[in-house]
Formats: sequence, structure tokens, C-alpha cells
Amino acid sequence: MELLTAVSVGLLFAIGVFQMLRRNVIRSVIGLMILANAVNLFLLSTGAYDGVAAAYTTSSGARSDALPQALILTAIVISMGGTAFVLAMLYIISARYHTADLDEVNGLKN
Amino acid sequence: MIDATLLLPLLIIGAAALLAAVFGLPSLNRRLNITRLSWFLALAPLTATILLALRVPQVNEGIVFTWQWTWLPTLNLNLGLYVDSLSLLFALLVTFIGTLVVVYAGQYFKGDQGAWRFLAYLLLFMVSMLGLVTAGDVLTLFIFWEGTSILSFLLVAYKTQSEAARYGAFRALFITGGGGIALLAGLLFVSNVAGGTDFGTILSSGDVLRHSAVYPVMLGLVAFGAFTKSAQWPAHIWLPGAMSAPTPASAYLHSATMVKAGIYLMARMNPALGFTDEWFWLLTIFGGVTMLVGAYLGLKQNDLKALLAYSTISQLGVLMMLIGQDVPEAYKALVIGIVAHAFYKSALFLVAGIVDHETGTRDIRRLGGLRKVMPYTFVVGTLAALSMAGLPPLFGFLAKETLLVTITNMPPAVAGLIRWSAVLAGALMLAQAGLFIWETFMGRPKDPAIQAHEAPAAMWLAPAVPAVLSLVLSILPGPKEEATFLASAAQAAFGAKVKVSTVLFHGLTVEFLLSLAAISLGVVIFLARWRIRAWQTAVLPHFSFNKLYAWVLAGIDRASVWATCLQQGRIRPYLHLMLAATVLLVVGFGWNSLRFVLPISWPGLDFGGEIVVLRLFALLLVVGASLMTVILVRDFNAVLAFGAAGLSMAVLFVLEPAPDVALVQIVVDILAVVILVLALARLPRRQRRKAQEVAAIRRYSGWSLARDVVVAGAIGLVVTLITLSALLSRPRESAVTPYYAANAKALTGASDIVGAVVVDFRALDTAVEIAVFGMAGLGIYTLLRFAAQKHGDNRVEEEEMAAGDGRQSTYGIGGLRTSAFVRAPAFVVLPLSLVLAATQMMYGHDQPGDGFTAGVIISLAVALWYVVFGYEETRRRLPWLRASAFVAAGVLLAIGTGAVAALLTGSFLGNYDFTAGWAFMPSGFHISTSFLFEVAICLTVLGSAARMINSLGHPEGRERD
Repeated sequence: MELLTAVSVGLLFAIGVFQMLRRNVIRSVIGLMILANAVNLFLLSTGAYDGVAAAYTTSSGARSDALPQALILTAIVISMGGTAFVLAMLYIISARYHTADLDEVNGLKN
Repeated sequence: MIDATLLLPLLIIGAAALLAAVFGLPSLNRRLNITRLSWFLALAPLTATILLALRVPQVNEGIVFTWQWTWLPTLNLNLGLYVDSLSLLFALLVTFIGTLVVVYAGQYFKGDQGAWRFLAYLLLFMVSMLGLVTAGDVLTLFIFWEGTSILSFLLVAYKTQSEAARYGAFRALFITGGGGIALLAGLLFVSNVAGGTDFGTILSSGDVLRHSAVYPVMLGLVAFGAFTKSAQWPAHIWLPGAMSAPTPASAYLHSATMVKAGIYLMARMNPALGFTDEWFWLLTIFGGVTMLVGAYLGLKQNDLKALLAYSTISQLGVLMMLIGQDVPEAYKALVIGIVAHAFYKSALFLVAGIVDHETGTRDIRRLGGLRKVMPYTFVVGTLAALSMAGLPPLFGFLAKETLLVTITNMPPAVAGLIRWSAVLAGALMLAQAGLFIWETFMGRPKDPAIQAHEAPAAMWLAPAVPAVLSLVLSILPGPKEEATFLASAAQAAFGAKVKVSTVLFHGLTVEFLLSLAAISLGVVIFLARWRIRAWQTAVLPHFSFNKLYAWVLAGIDRASVWATCLQQGRIRPYLHLMLAATVLLVVGFGWNSLRFVLPISWPGLDFGGEIVVLRLFALLLVVGASLMTVILVRDFNAVLAFGAAGLSMAVLFVLEPAPDVALVQIVVDILAVVILVLALARLPRRQRRKAQEVAAIRRYSGWSLARDVVVAGAIGLVVTLITLSALLSRPRESAVTPYYAANAKALTGASDIVGAVVVDFRALDTAVEIAVFGMAGLGIYTLLRFAAQKHGDNRVEEEEMAAGDGRQSTYGIGGLRTSAFVRAPAFVVLPLSLVLAATQMMYGHDQPGDGFTAGVIISLAVALWYVVFGYEETRRRLPWLRASAFVAAGVLLAIGTGAVAALLTGSFLGNYDFTAGWAFMPSGFHISTSFLFEVAICLTVLGSAARMINSLGHPEGRERD
């Protein structure tokens, strides 16, 4: 399972990076969100225990690892806020340059 | 011997610098009398001189004064002082000549209201220099070392209007600064090998250092720093350029003190790094070449200060060469040479400054015959020049003779060459000293336009003091205190006993004969000076290391042009570069730790368990849906595909099983899709169409697509390897989870361990996290409102006002007409979401769900309203939805709850149940600090998410054509 998880994380990263490299603003934001998903998947798979029951004190049987889950919970929230902020920034940029094509955003040069 | 009063000289001079700087204030500056100020300020270095001189008897007995202050204990960084006789010798020269120079500068800059700046720089330089020679820790030394470089830059470029001054200052900084970097590296090597940064440790671990494998490296680096600072060939070129400094600065920095920093460093390090063949050859060769080059080039100069600069270079070469020898006589010659040179050269510089000040020129082709109008200056100058020429009975003679003694004691193979080089250099020095005096003061005035008169007494007295000392030190009879001090300093540098006597005549020895030879040869050169100078100008007139320096600078310029070629100003190439570089770095440095995963064996998947099959299926869904965001051409479809990928992630979380995470993932995924769609709708249609065009894969050229695929593929591959190595080597026993599991119920009252971690064990994290989320929402609001105002389209508002006749309720987002069947559920969904959110918060402790989910659920309902009713109508119907106030209330409630919990339980955001034991509470529900914290999270998230939806849904930014 580790190999498959690793390959999936790698594939998600590749897709996310590829999307980030698009000229289309929306696609590059989607790329960022896919990267966040990939990281969450990675975090999930680092759990020390292979559980069959949820991490409740009341549940019986082998519990899944609560720690990475708490980390992912935080990560989801932060990445949501961050992505929304990036989206707003990209929107401002495209409004300023009157384009949604990142290749036409070239103000850094001048 | 630990002694904190060593700091006093540094502090006193620093205070004086501050006082000088205060006169930069306009109100004080009007009342500034620079001469009177300089008299007062000179008291500081004078006091320092006295304080330091009082320690001479003690250091003569071999006492070392130290002081240390631990600066960063975790990094083992200390500030320290270390004063033995070698340090004290240099420190006394620094403060003593400094006193004279400050007084002199007051006369030199008489009536110049801007000269407070010069005095402030000069005194600050004095602090750096004094700190450098008394530093007890290599890092302290380095800090002061850089301080002298920077202040030298400021002093050389003091006349900021002059191009030559700026150029000279930059060149000096470039060369000495570059040396400083090498020095830092070298000193770090040294302290690493020696096992400590303080001189006490380093000086006593000479054997370890010399036998270390990196000895050549650290020697090279340290010597590079010292050579550049002390103007050794071929780095000497900065010193003549630095002569564009005002003369008091030249006299102080570029003859007596700063250029001696390299000499001090090498002498200091001699017990640690010296006594090896490498040391001998390195210092002998560079010192010897510098000695000859300086002496040769000095003769052809026309500028008095340039002449002195080259003779300084030559003398520095001599001193450097002496440090390289491992005989006690060399160290005797070294300390005598340092003192002699400091005295006569500072005097000569100050004399040159007087001549310049009174006549307006320093060109020996225009000067002459000044002895009649400037008799005192003439006497002082002659005295110093005789010392420089190495004539008896002056101190300079002693210096030259001890130098020759050293050379006769060398191994015979090199002795001959060096002996005659030293004789030649001595002869050239004599000729230059003659040139200096003769062309300036003797003969007839060459330029009748020059109207000179004697300088004020305070001005010529300043050089008179060291000039007279040059005489007194050598002819004073009786038991000599200073000889003991010099011997003790030489001993500190050499590491063994050195005998120093200042007796002038030892009888008819080889070195006396050599001295005579040098004097005779010098006289011959002096007599033939014009012919030799003409020959010098004819031979090799064009070559100099300045060309090399200019070439190096031009090369750096060209390299930076080449490097900035990569700066295309577009985002995607930057991303390409950064990502590719990341891959290379990770693979380059991490390959060894990643390699072990490579013999990958195909996992024996146990398809027996249905969980495995489901997981596989969910993974496939996530990857497949993500891939669809690439393939689908329409942006809207791509957003939906992303939503599908997020929901598949939730499936994975469920299978883990991690129900809390899955719940959050689902609601956040929906929120993300809503926000993306809102942003998409906000883009003007023309741009959206354009964006759509560039979204299609087939629109990219083969080359650009290949580049993207290669970069993305490489990242994916590297991440796969990293993940695999992380997963295969992860511990199968958590260090913290068992603690959480065991204590969740007892400490936090929660049976949901994940919830307990989020709102209690790691509550501070969560508090910061909601603050960040809140700021993101407010940031988006600010960004979009700002842009809307700046690039706002007034047409939209007019249109809206025209439409403001009550019909707008039928228009939803994007001006689309919404039907009653859509509007009716919206009315139901909002209250329902409130109830749902309330239960989430109340029972989140024992069941999936928490404040965050609650907040997102309400905001999703609000988003539905925006979609169905449009912006204006939603704002009108939901007046209570004040997003920014919610964020503020949420964050404040979180802090308040934390504070209350801190009071009640002693731990910030700890758990305290207010309703413990209350009979009438619903089962499973407690009003506790954790519950209040959940409410705070919910409020913040709701406020922030509503802000996001609100800002992105605001019609101002949307084009309705």
C-alpha cells in the first residue's frame, strides 16, 4: 500500500505542479489546491497505526492515529484560507493587466 | 586575569563619537566650533591611552587581561577581550596617534561646519580599531575588523562630491571586504579545529591546528584576509586610491593603524598557525615582493601622499615578511618596525597635510623652498624623514638594522636574495625620504603662484610629537622601560623569549656594513633620482594591477547581466526555474537518503480486505479527477473536477477511518468550489474567453508543453521517492498519540481524540490558525475593494442604480434569473444550517464535527443565498451577517476564553467545565471553555468565509456586458 500511496502523492504533485504552470489563472489556483490535497494525503499516510476504528476513546479495536488527523484538520483550514487569498491576488493581478493569461503579466520586467 | 575595566577605553571613545555625531543636529551645528570640539574630544583617546598605559607593567610580567560576555549561549557565541603585551602595544599606538590626529583634524577642518561627520567617523573608527586589537574572540575580532573596513570606506569617501574619492573608497571596500569574508571563513575553520573561538583556546592549540588536514585551507583564508587588509601585493592597489581621504584620515588609517590590522592578526596567530614551511614561504614571498614593489613604485610618484602610500606598502611588506620567520630576532625587528613606522609615517602624513593645507598642492613638481616660510614644519618633517630613511641616530635606523640582522640569520639559500632585496628596498626608502624633504622644503620655489605661510602651532605640534619620539626612543640612555615592553610584545607574538635592546651601535657587524651599503646606495639613487624616475616612467608605463581590478569588476558586471537574463519578468519562467532548482537540490543533497527505497518490490497487495480495494478505488478517483482538471477544456468543468477530487479525498479519510477530517474535507471542498466559481464569474467575459483559450492543452507549443511535463514529472518523481522513503522508515509506534488517547477524556472531557487535540492539546495552534483564516478573509476583502475602487468600472454601478427598482430580487448571481423552486429551499437551508452548526459545536466533543465545520456549514448556506438572491438582495435580507464583526468577535472570544481558562486551570485554553454536576443539562452537552472555543472558531470561520464569498460575489468587479 505504501508504494501505491507514494505513487499517488507523486502523481498528485506532478498534476498540481503542471497545473500551476498553466497560463490560465484559474488553473494555476486549482494546481495549488491539488498540491494541498497531495500534502494532506501524505500526512494521512504517515500515521503510525493502521486502524480499523475511528480515534475515539469510546471505540474498540485498533484505533487510527489521531495526530496526523489533527494536523490535516489544521492544514485543510489554512490551505483553504491561503488559497482564497491567492485567488484574490490573482484576480487583482488580472484586473490590473486586463488579462487572465499569466504570460501577459510581465510587469516584473519593467 | 578577568578585568571588565578593559571596556572603559572603548566606551569612552564611543561616547566621544556620539558627542561628535550630536553636533550634526541643525540647532547644535550652528554653535559648533570644530577646533574647540576637537580639543575636547581628544581627551577621550588621551584618557584611553593613559588607562592602557597603566597596564604596561603588569603585561610586562606576562599577565593577560581577559573579559568575556556570553552573547548567545546556545550557539556558544561570546564577546570577549584579550589584552596581552602585543595587543597593548597596538592599542597604545591606536589611542596615542588617535589623540594627535583628532587635535590635528580640528585644525585641518577649521571653520568647516560639516566636519563633525569626520570626527564622528574617525572616533568610531578608533573604537573599531581598538576593539580589533583587544578582541579576545575571533568573532569579536571579525566584527571589529569589518567595522574598520566600513569606516575606512566612509572616511575615504568623505568628500562625497569627488569621483576619485568614491572610486577609491569603493575599491578599498571591495578588496578589504572580500578579504574579510575569506577571513571569517578562515577563523571559523580555526575555531572549529581548535575547539573554541576565544584566543586563549586557539593560541594554546597550535599543534592541533598545524597538524590538521585543513591547515593549508585555513592558513590561506586567514592570510588572504590579512594580506588584503595590510595592502600586500597584489592587493596593494587599494591603498594609493584610499589617499583621496582627508589627510588626517590617511595619516591615521593608512599608515599607523588600519593597515596594521593584518600585521596584528598574523602576529597574533603566529603561535597558533606559524612555524611551518607553508607559513614561512607564504609570508616571505608575499612580504618580500610587496616590499620591493612598494619601494620601487614609490620613487616615481609626484604626489606627496602617494609617495608615502607606496613606502607604507613597502614597509608593510617588510613587517609581513618578518612575521614569517621563526627566529626571535625577526620578532624584535617586527615590534621595533611597527613602532618606528607608526611614528615616522604618521608624522610625515601630517606634514604632507600641512603642506597641502597651506599651499593647496601636494605635487612635488610645484613645491619647493618651503623651509623658509614653514621652518617648524620643515624641522618636524626632516626628523621624521630621517627616521624613514633609516639613518642613525633615529628609531628608523634601529628598525632597519634589526631587519638586516634577521635576514643574516635566515637559511642561506634564500638569505642572499632577501638580504640584497632588503638593502635595495632600504636604499629606495632613503631616496624617497630625501625626495619628500628635498623637493618640498629645499631648493627654490618651483611655482611662484604658491603663497605659503606657517601652520598654527597645534597643527605642526601633532606631527612633532611622534617625530621627536622617534629620536628620543633611540637615544634615551639608561635602563629602558620601552625595551622591556617591546620585548614582552615580541614574546607574545613569537611564543618564546625575545631579547630587545635599543642600543644603536653594536660594533662593526655584518648588518652594520649592510646598513652602510643601503645608505650609500640610497644616496646614489637620491642623487640620480630624476634620471631613475624618467626611466621608471618609460619602462612598463601601462601595466598595473588596477587594470586587473577593473577587468575583474567588468567581469562581475558582465556576469550579473548574464544572470539577470534569466529574469524574464514573467511568472511561469520563474516557477520553472525555482521548481527545477528545487528538484536538483533535493536530488543533489538528498540522494543518499533516498536511494535505499529504489529496489522497489511490487507490494503483495492483500485484496482480501474490502478496505484495501476501496482505498485503491478512492486513490484512483483522486488522481483521476485531478487529471481531469488538466484535460477538461472549460474552466467551470475543471473546477467541478477539482471538487470531485476533493470529495474522493474525503472518501480516503473515511476509510482511514478519520470521520472528523472527512467531514471538514467535504464542507471545505464545497466551499472551495463555490469560491472558485464566484471568482470565475467575477472575471470579465472577454478575459474569461481568453483564459479559456489558453487553458486548452493543444494551445501550447510542443516545446513549452514538454518543458512543463518534464518539470512536473521530475517533481512528481522526487516527491514519490521522498514519500516512499518517509513511509517505509516511519516509526510504527507514535510518541505522542498514546498520551493523547489516554488523557483525552480525563483532561479535556472529549472522547473524540482528534477534537481534543485540536481544541485542547494543541489549542494554541488552532487559535493562531483561526486568526490566520480570519486575516485571509479580511485580506481578500481589502484587496478586492481596493482594486475595485482603483480599477472600478463606474458603468456597473450606474447600471445597478438603474435596476434598483425592486426587480433585482429575481436576479441571482451573475444577473441570472432564479426560479421560485430554487429560492424556496434557500429559505429553508439557512435556518437548518444554523441548527446543524449548533449541534456540531455542542456535541463535537464526542462525535465528528467541530466549530470549524459549523462555521463552514453556515457560510455554505449563506453562499447559496448569494447565488440565489444576488449580492444586493442578500445584503438586505441578512442584515445581521456582519462578517468583519464576526471575525473580530471570534478572535476576541478565543482569546478571552483562553484567558479565563488560564485563570481557572492554569493553562491557556485549558478545559474547564462550567456546568459540571448540573442536573438539567442535556446529556453529553457541557458549557465548558472548550465549547466556548468551538463557538469562537465557528464565528471566526463564518465571518471570514462570508467575507470571501461577499467580496468575490460583489458585483462591482463583475462585467455585465
